[in-house]
Formats: sequence, C-alpha cells, structure tokens
Amino acid sequence: MAALTPVGSSRRRRTEAFTVYAALIALTVVFLFPLVWIVGLSLKTRLQVFASPPLFLWRPTFENYAATLARADFGQAFVNSLLVSAGAVSLSLVVGVPAAYAMARFRFAGRNVLFFALLSMRMLPPIAVLIPMYVLFNAFGLTTTRTSVVLAYTTFSLPLVVWIMRGFFEDLPRELEESAWVDGASRLQAFVRVVLPLIKPGLVAACILCLQLAWNDFLFATVLTNNATRTLPVLMAAFSGGDTSTDWGGMTASGVLVILPVILFSFAAQRHLVAGLSSGAVKG
Amino acid sequence: MGGTTEAAASGRIARRPLIRGRRRMIWADRNFAGLAILPTTLLMLLVFGIPLLFSAWLSLEAWSPDQTLFGGTFAGRANYQDLLTDPEFTGSLILTLEYTAAVVAAELGVGLGIALLLNIDLPWIGLFRTVLIVPMMITPVVAAFCWKLLLDPDHGVINYFIRQHIVWLGQPETALLSVAVVNIWQNAPYVAILLLAGLRSLPHEPVEAAQIDGASRLQMFWHITLPLLRPYLLVALLLRMIFEFRSFDNVYVMTSGGPANATLVLSMYTYLASFVRFDLSLGSAAAWMMMLISLLMCGCFILLVRRREAN
Repeated sequence: MAALTPVGSSRRRRTEAFTVYAALIALTVVFLFPLVWIVGLSLKTRLQVFASPPLFLWRPTFENYAATLARADFGQAFVNSLLVSAGAVSLSLVVGVPAAYAMARFRFAGRNVLFFALLSMRMLPPIAVLIPMYVLFNAFGLTTTRTSVVLAYTTFSLPLVVWIMRGFFEDLPRELEESAWVDGASRLQAFVRVVLPLIKPGLVAACILCLQLAWNDFLFATVLTNNATRTLPVLMAAFSGGDTSTDWGGMTASGVLVILPVILFSFAAQRHLVAGLSSGAVKG
Repeated sequence: MGGTTEAAASGRIARRPLIRGRRRMIWADRNFAGLAILPTTLLMLLVFGIPLLFSAWLSLEAWSPDQTLFGGTFAGRANYQDLLTDPEFTGSLILTLEYTAAVVAAELGVGLGIALLLNIDLPWIGLFRTVLIVPMMITPVVAAFCWKLLLDPDHGVINYFIRQHIVWLGQPETALLSVAVVNIWQNAPYVAILLLAGLRSLPHEPVEAAQIDGASRLQMFWHITLPLLRPYLLVALLLRMIFEFRSFDNVYVMTSGGPANATLVLSMYTYLASFVRFDLSLGSAAAWMMMLISLLMCGCFILLVRRREAN
C-alpha cells in the first residue's frame, strides 16, 4: 500500500489531511516532550528546576553547561568514549569489510558457518560474552584498559559491519570487478580500486551505526572500565545513581552533551543511515 | 597493476621479480576469499569463540575470582540446578518473558501506527519522518535517567500533569511499567522505520484493485496491507524480541531490579550474580540459559531470512 490515493471529494480529502496532521503532531508532542523537557531543565538554575508548579517560561541560563564542561571527569569520559568508539569502528571496518565482500561474492567452505556465527554474535545477549571476557581480561591484566573495551565492542560492531556491507556488495553489479579482472587486475586490486570507491555510502552507513552503538553502550563499559577509563554512559549512570543527587541541571546538561553528537551526526547522514538500517535488518 | 606495467616497461632486468610477483598474485587470487575472511575469523575466535567456550566451562565449575584461571573444582550441573531451584531466577525468567512480550507488542503496535501515518504522502511529511526518529538515537542510559527525572514523585513533571503523587519507581505495580515505557519510547520509532520501508516496497496493484472494487479503508488495511506486510512485521517482531530480551540499561539506571525484584530482568539478575556477588560461575550458567532462549529466537530469525532469500 504505497501512498494512499485519496478518494472522494476535495473536501473529504482536506478533512483527511487535517486528521493525519493532527495525529502526527500529537505523536510528535508525545515523543519529543520528554527530550524537550530535559533540555529545558538543563537551561534552568537550581531554584528554577525545583520550582513548584514547574516553570514553562524562563530566561535560559547556560551555567549548567559551563559547569559540566569544566568538570575534569566529564572531559576525560568524553575522550574515552571517543577513543573506544573510534577504535572499535575502525577495527571492525578494517577486519569486517573484506569478509563482507568475500561473503557477498565468493562461495567458500564454511561460508554458512561464518554467516551463522556472525549472526549469533550480534543476537546473543552481551552479558554472556562479558562474563568470560571479564575473567580472561583480568587474567591477562587487560581489565580497566580501553583496549579491553574496544575488543568487547567488536562483538557487536563486527557483525553489524559485515551484515550491512554484505548487503551493499550484493547490490553492486558483478560486471564492474569482472572487467577489472579481465584487464589483469588481481582480486585485491579490483576490490581496493574498483569496488571500495563505489561502496562509500555503505561504509558511511556502517560507520555511523557502529559509532552510535559503541557510543551508547553501557553494559560492557561499566564492567570493563575504572574511574580513569570510563566512558560517558558509565559516568552518566554514576551521576544519576543514588537519591542524593539533586543537581538536575548539571545532570541534564551532561545528558544533552552526551546525546548531541550522535543526533547531529545521524542527521548529517540521515539518508545513509536509513539505507543502512533497512538494508541491515530488512533486506537480510 | 602499476607494478607489473612498470616492470614490463623496464624490460629484461625486471623479468624475474615480475614472474615471482605474478605467482604471488595468482596464489592470492586463488585464496582470496580465505584471506579476506581470515582476520574476521581470528577476531571472532578471540572475542566470541574462546570466551563462550570458557564461559561454558566456567558454568560447570565452582570458581571464585581469588582462584587461578583453571583452579576451580568441577561442579557438574550444580550451578544450573541452583538456578532452577532459585525462586529469584525462575521469577526473573518469567518476568523477562512477560516483559519482552508486552514491550514488543506495544512497540509493534505504536510503530505500525507511526509507519502508516508517515506513509501517507502529504507536504511536510518528511519533517515528521525526521523528528519522530530522534528518541531512537538517544543513549539508553541518558534516556533512562531523563525518564527517572520526569517520573520523580516530588518534582517530576508527569506527576504535575496528572496532579497526583505517584512513586512510579518505588512500587512494584508501576515500576515495571515505567521501565517498559522508556524502551517503547525509544524503539517504536525504530520499528516504524522498518515497517515504513516495508510499506514503501509493497506493490500498488492489489490496493488499486481493491479500491476499484469499493473496499473500505479498514478492509484494505486488514485484508491487503497487513498480509503483504507480514514478512516485515515478522522481522521487526523477532529483532525486537531478541533485543528486548536483553534489556539492561533502563532497568539498571531506573530501578536496579527493585522494588522487591519487580523489575529484575534476566540481564540484571545475571549482572548482579556476576559483578556484584562475584559468583561468576553461577552468572555464566544464567548467561547460558539466556543464550539458549536467544538462540531459539535467533534460529527463527535465520529461518525467516533464509526463506526470504530463497524467494
């Protein structure tokens, strides 16, 4: 049912459009209100936050943001988050893209096993991998390092990269590489010089989705880091833990700063993102 | 390519390296697929294969963190027996299944509604498509604590709107609902995107034929759109089941499993056993139980994908 074709008089059509808009606006209000309210809290002073009844109009203050950005632990966590996310995504791309290409183009022994293993890697609960990882990393002195977090993150980013990229490679006509092979290029040369440049949108989609997952992860990071190596979600959970925390302005300001990069980044590449989401999950 | 042409141009002197290079190239070409998947295979063994084997072994041991890696004593099925006779675990298992079913049903319902609305071609619809997916991008931990503030009994805006003093996260009846709302809020848009892609790819003809036959909107939706959309609904259903089954972040931040275990989902139970009580053997056993259930769901998913690829 692509696009309902309106039937009936133009008057009926107009009422229909009106109903649809009303429903959409209502949905938007419901879905965005929590976020808008939180951003609002982050722009209030401590007194305004707890005003009763709640303030709906006030002169915004940026003191919470200034305070958050001045915090050493926030800066440290921000850097940690950046490092582990970037590390996990680059590792997964470098390792996973050739595998995705091979799975899309060549028949080889163990192809189905690899397919199944990658899928289960993404689908099985992360805590199942985390427990033995914690014990093993501990034995090798790797816990509380950023390396351990990067390795842990590949359990979800590697399958995602392979899954998404395989879809993109399959959509690419074979003739392109085949003509390169005929011209005497090796498989590797054809892959690097012909295929990869054409597959950039796929790389962008895979990159963003993995970055988002890595940036948002909490479970792995909370177990595998300490105060020096913790990532932003771990710090946020520490902020909000306990009933004693009353610094709502500071908490919400840091929350907004955590989600802002992801949202901006996703919007900047929304076209790729939607393509990636649907190719990764629907197209199979 | 560059290398060989240069070598050919420089004539006889370069002939030997050229041949050797060719051979290497032919060897690499013949084994290209194997070489391409080698790094992935190794990395998977390192971060997935070996840990899982180790965890299986750990779940059959009585091991504590002060022992050496292989210093535990063999315990056989003891950990699994402990779990199955522990009312906290069985309660958590049932709770998780109920929670997953309810949250996924809500996500599919709301997601389908949003997708149907967004599928109608009207001016400005693109704006709604963009705005409505924002909750999906929010870091789950941040989303959870935002809702914690919204639901605060004394200063929360939700209690202000309904003019009541409800301790949402403090009583068993409302705590689970509150935790569920966060995930529904975040993931219904995701379901909507999946279903919208499905709606967009459906053929026009059946709907047009039904229109000519004078079918009502509801009839068309029920007898044409919904059956055609079934494969997409199934994929969304299974994906969401698999991911809701492992819910952790929202529970950890909002309730930590309380009050009175009302929100103690399996991930939380396993986390508490492993990283608070440090009974990593019991934790491994619980994790394996979770994996078996997820594998069942995953198997269904693979069957589905296979069937669609075969078509």
